[in-house]
Amino acid sequence: MKANREMKRLFVGGLRQNISQEDLQNQFGRFGEVSDVEIITRKDDQGNPQKVFAYINIRVTEADLKKCMSVLNKTKWKGGTLQIQLAKESFLHRLAQEREEAKAKKGKSTAGNTSLLEKMKTVDFHVKAVPGTEVPGHKNWVVSKFGRVLPVLHLKNERKRKIIKYDPSKYCHNLKKIGEDFTNAVPISNLTWELEGGNDPMSKKRRGEFSDFHSPAKKMIKVQKNEGSTAFLTMRAKPSSIMESPHLIQQVAQKTFHNSITPKSPYRTDFDHQKFKNVFFQTSGLETTKNRNSISDDDIDSEDELRLMIAREENLEKTTWSTNEFENDPFEVVRDDFKSDFHKFHTSTGLGLKNSVSCLNSENNVTENGYDSDSGDTDEIIAMKKSSGKLENDVDFSQREKSMYKKTYLKNRKKYALSDDCIKEQKRKNKVELALSHRVKPLSCKSPIESSSSEDADSVSESTECEGDKEYNTLMENCLRVNLTLADLEKLAGSNQEAQKEKTESNGQETTAKCDRASKSQRTPGDLRRGQQCIHPEEIVASLLEGRENPCGKQKTKENTLKPKFQAFKGVGCLYGKESVKKSLPESVASNNINKDQISLKLEEPGNMSMGKWSLCANGLSSEQTSFQHAKEENDSNQIQPQKRQSFASQGHKVVSLNSSEKRNRNPISSLLPLKDKKSLSCGAETPSRGLDEDCCHRTAKSGEGSERRPDLYSSKAPEKSPEVFSRRDSQGSKTDFPLSVNSSSDVNAKDKHAEDNQKRLAALEARQKAKEVQKKLVHNALANLDGHPEDKPTHIIFGSNSESETEETSTREQSHPGEELVKESMGRASGKLFDSSDDEDSCSEDDNNRFRIKPQFEGRAGQKLMNLQSHFGTDDRFRMDSRFLESDSEDEHEEINEQKTAEEEELAAEKLKALNVVQSVLQINLSNSTSKGSVAAKKFKDIIHYDPTRHDHATYERKQNDKPKESKAKRKKKREEAEKLPEVSKEMYYNIATDLKQIFQTVKDTSEKENNTPWNEDSDGEKAEGVQDTPALMTRDEQTGGFTFSFFESDTKDEKEETYRVEAVKPGKIAWQGDPCFQDSSSEEEDVTEETDDKKQSPEEVSLPEKETTRFFFFSKNDERLHGSDLFWRGVGSNISRNSWEIRTNNLRMDCRKKHKDAKRRVKPK
Amino acid sequence: MRPLTEEETRVMFEKIAKYIGENLQLLVDRPDGTYCFRLHNDRVYYVSEKILKLAANISGDKLVSLGTCFGKFTKTHKFRLHVTALDYLAPYAKYKVWIKPGAEQSFLYGNHVLKSGLGRITENTSQYQGVLVYSMADVPLGFGVAAKSTQDCRKVDPMAIVVFHQADIGEYVRHEETLT
Repeated sequence: MKANREMKRLFVGGLRQNISQEDLQNQFGRFGEVSDVEIITRKDDQGNPQKVFAYINIRVTEADLKKCMSVLNKTKWKGGTLQIQLAKESFLHRLAQEREEAKAKKGKSTAGNTSLLEKMKTVDFHVKAVPGTEVPGHKNWVVSKFGRVLPVLHLKNERKRKIIKYDPSKYCHNLKKIGEDFTNAVPISNLTWELEGGNDPMSKKRRGEFSDFHSPAKKMIKVQKNEGSTAFLTMRAKPSSIMESPHLIQQVAQKTFHNSITPKSPYRTDFDHQKFKNVFFQTSGLETTKNRNSISDDDIDSEDELRLMIAREENLEKTTWSTNEFENDPFEVVRDDFKSDFHKFHTSTGLGLKNSVSCLNSENNVTENGYDSDSGDTDEIIAMKKSSGKLENDVDFSQREKSMYKKTYLKNRKKYALSDDCIKEQKRKNKVELALSHRVKPLSCKSPIESSSSEDADSVSESTECEGDKEYNTLMENCLRVNLTLADLEKLAGSNQEAQKEKTESNGQETTAKCDRASKSQRTPGDLRRGQQCIHPEEIVASLLEGRENPCGKQKTKENTLKPKFQAFKGVGCLYGKESVKKSLPESVASNNINKDQISLKLEEPGNMSMGKWSLCANGLSSEQTSFQHAKEENDSNQIQPQKRQSFASQGHKVVSLNSSEKRNRNPISSLLPLKDKKSLSCGAETPSRGLDEDCCHRTAKSGEGSERRPDLYSSKAPEKSPEVFSRRDSQGSKTDFPLSVNSSSDVNAKDKHAEDNQKRLAALEARQKAKEVQKKLVHNALANLDGHPEDKPTHIIFGSNSESETEETSTREQSHPGEELVKESMGRASGKLFDSSDDEDSCSEDDNNRFRIKPQFEGRAGQKLMNLQSHFGTDDRFRMDSRFLESDSEDEHEEINEQKTAEEEELAAEKLKALNVVQSVLQINLSNSTSKGSVAAKKFKDIIHYDPTRHDHATYERKQNDKPKESKAKRKKKREEAEKLPEVSKEMYYNIATDLKQIFQTVKDTSEKENNTPWNEDSDGEKAEGVQDTPALMTRDEQTGGFTFSFFESDTKDEKEETYRVEAVKPGKIAWQGDPCFQDSSSEEEDVTEETDDKKQSPEEVSLPEKETTRFFFFSKNDERLHGSDLFWRGVGSNISRNSWEIRTNNLRMDCRKKHKDAKRRVKPK
Repeated sequence: MRPLTEEETRVMFEKIAKYIGENLQLLVDRPDGTYCFRLHNDRVYYVSEKILKLAANISGDKLVSLGTCFGKFTKTHKFRLHVTALDYLAPYAKYKVWIKPGAEQSFLYGNHVLKSGLGRITENTSQYQGVLVYSMADVPLGFGVAAKSTQDCRKVDPMAIVVFHQADIGEYVRHEETLT
């Protein structure tokens, strides 16, 4: 039994205060030998005992211990519930014992202990030892803050002649160091845990190894115990959040530390980790992957992610902690202005979700931001497209990216709408290029589709603004397609650079190669001009071409773009072009876009049918026409356009539809008209044509303008009509010229056909217009007869008539190119229409006026009532209200009611006042012990007053709220800056000097050399270091210091002082003149002055102070004397005072110190 | 239905001021309209002017209630706060007590709040201070009186009462017939 007995340390809690050691000994003596009883009383702030517990050392067997625990644990004993636990051994106790043992048995050591020591010393000791514990057996070795064993240093202070004891356990500089550069530190896992080498005792000790045999193991145990006890001590009933939080932060910091060190892989692990940790995060696996991506991509991102992670961790910790809190922490005390965010504490799930969401958001933001910035400009959009197109060349273009683009498009929708024009132009360009490519590779099925799509896009983009979202989606699709086309274009252009010559040959069979060359050479300037006209296409082309390496490709593509019009104009490749168009159009139909452009496609089809009939000249003409039309269309509102188209469709007129389709096809060409003209110049080189050229240029420019000016459609329309007509005439002339100059063969046929076409068109239009007029009149009449909805009537009709007439107008104009009479006719018709409609409008407006006039019976309050009544019945005539319906005595009633009201209000007000009085009294009673009235008011202001911007007296709050924060920030900065500067010195001085300078400049040159002298004298007197000075001053100084005598100097009338000066100056003449001689001079001079001319020296100084400044007032140098002066001025007064006080104080302190020192010495001596 | 006498007003205000302090002023002098207190069947109603007028049309013996009942005067002319006033007083409360979800039910059954159920408390709450009881999710649950000051709450053992029950929203169910 005895052999089994072991020393145990028991914790006995829940004791009463009156329990003594004997009691405990008796109580526990039943189970074993109680060797030591230690009763600890925990007291609160006031010294009232809160807890009493004891530690008992008992030598007991296992069985007895169990018995003891079962018998005594949780039993009531002398008024307290006992709580018995096995405690760790007391470190101090053990330590003392060890020491005694060590003293008793010197050199003795148990093998087991050493082995234990071997095990523990390296790892456990410095981890678990409480900082500040001395290492037994080693003098001045202490466990430091972070568990390392370090020597206590005795440092000699250099200044104080004192020896400072540096106890490493009390300092924790290490922590700071870690905090400073923990970005590029080594991860914990990579830290060296063991130092190799260094067998000298110092390093060993540092490592925590002690070759000494005695008792580190025991020590270990003791340490542990001690720690346990201390931990227990620190553990209180309420684990405060403050205690928790640093720990948390540390953890997080560690984590971040770890992460920041190892850039990529740890993140992943971390994220995995987090996934496991975070249930919510698991659900969003995609996000995590995304995160990973972003991390691997971006450093900044990773930082963000880190922050997020930290936040997440913290939240996690917090949630866990909060749950803990519920277990441990009884309650929490909050301030008055507490606002509980119970999300934080109670809905951990919400937090997690939030986190994940925020993760997602950030992720999205990252991507979207990137693309946002990209697509800020249309140029960049194009660039994007380019890149996308490149990607698309590869077979597997990921769907994801597409979707991203879609997103960006969605986002930039408005931008898109704004930049519609440029895009349109670009598309036109595309069309041209596409057409070309089609011709180059007629077999490639892609390009026609794309061309159609691009056309679609064009038309869609034209009609987007009116039709809105639906259209927009299609637009988006088209945009994607446009990407495709661009990419393909690039490809094609790249691949077919060499085949171009062949193309040109095949295309332009009649046009010679020379002509081509010439046209090329001349076209490039034309291109430039075009670039001026419409910058966007140029840029697009440029962006496209950037993809390619060779610059020559640029020109070639341009040529490509030019070729189609070439052909079209020349009519050389007329049939060819027809074919291509035919091909492309069916293709486009086959492509079955969801767009509403099917209408337009339909329109194009008939156009295609009739294309066969078309001559070259007609082509050219139509192109020109369309250019006008295009401009007009641009000018017209988009609302009209679809209508027009629809009307065309309903008419089913081939010619018209042809025209419209042609419009679309020739838009690019119309923009490139001048180039054509140039070409014609190169071929024919006729003067009239040239003039026409210019006209055409002008026109195209106008069209460009029109396209740009679309937003202000209505305003710009009217003025633009006349010039357009004018230019039309010009074009007619040019039209007649062009065929002459360019086409000789198929001229006649073309003209005939064209005329026929035009006539047909006109006839159809006339018929249509008539039909429409009839319809309109019918509608007008019908609407005029309707009284049911008078409000709808006028607006409806007005809008309809206006728009229709406009459409008519435009259409007639389209028709009216060949003959001006026709134009006039149509115009007249249109105008007639307009007048009709305006008549309608007038009548309507009268109606409006009548309606909006306030009727006499509805005036006044009673009238209002009546109005209300009538509103019940609507606008039905049968229930029209008159004054008859007014109740005669209503007003009296009202008055009575009002009187009553006022009476009641007064009563209520009185009551309220009373109540308020009572409140005052009550609150005063309350306030008398707690708060004053002022505080009440303040509180009121803070909490309750609802800010009402309409109220005047609330303006004060307004101001306060607005001004303060801004000012504070800005002012702080300003103040800082100002503090750094030397602000006030400059300005006043400056002005003074400016005024004085004049005088000085006048005086210096004329007469007073003396005055000039005084300044430098003083300079040498007062200031040792002088900055930049005026030339005269410098001169004088040089002379003076060097001992030279110039005429300037000599001319001065010298007094004694200067003589002395010179005498002095000779001596330092051997030395370099600058600083030292000056100094010597001044000193010597001072002496002299004191001896000889005190007054003289003083007086000039005072007098000449301003003058001196005036002499070198221009710039401030670093060591400018003026600044010095100001310094003296500002500091002087204060510093004198402060210095005096300081000196007094220091003296006092010194005295005190001496006294104390003496006292201490005295004390020491007797001892 | 009549306006309160000055004495009644004082008594009532003293009571209410225990809960909302000087914010009482804001109840009396409201920026958004005229409100007044009316006594009807020993109960005090907080009525807007508008409703007051409407209620004037109904004879006193037929009128069950008007506006919002703030409480009633006992036979000894003390004022007892009803839970119906909670909505008006809760926003102005100065001293609050949050009780843990586990103790919510107990409180809503009309029991006092023990320390074990105390989740959070406004600091420097004095003893016998009127407090508003909230759930941890910041839902006002009722009125109470602090049985211990905040400091005392720390020391007291978990089963001690820290907040005396005054009124709780459970009364809407329990005292349905008497709440007007």
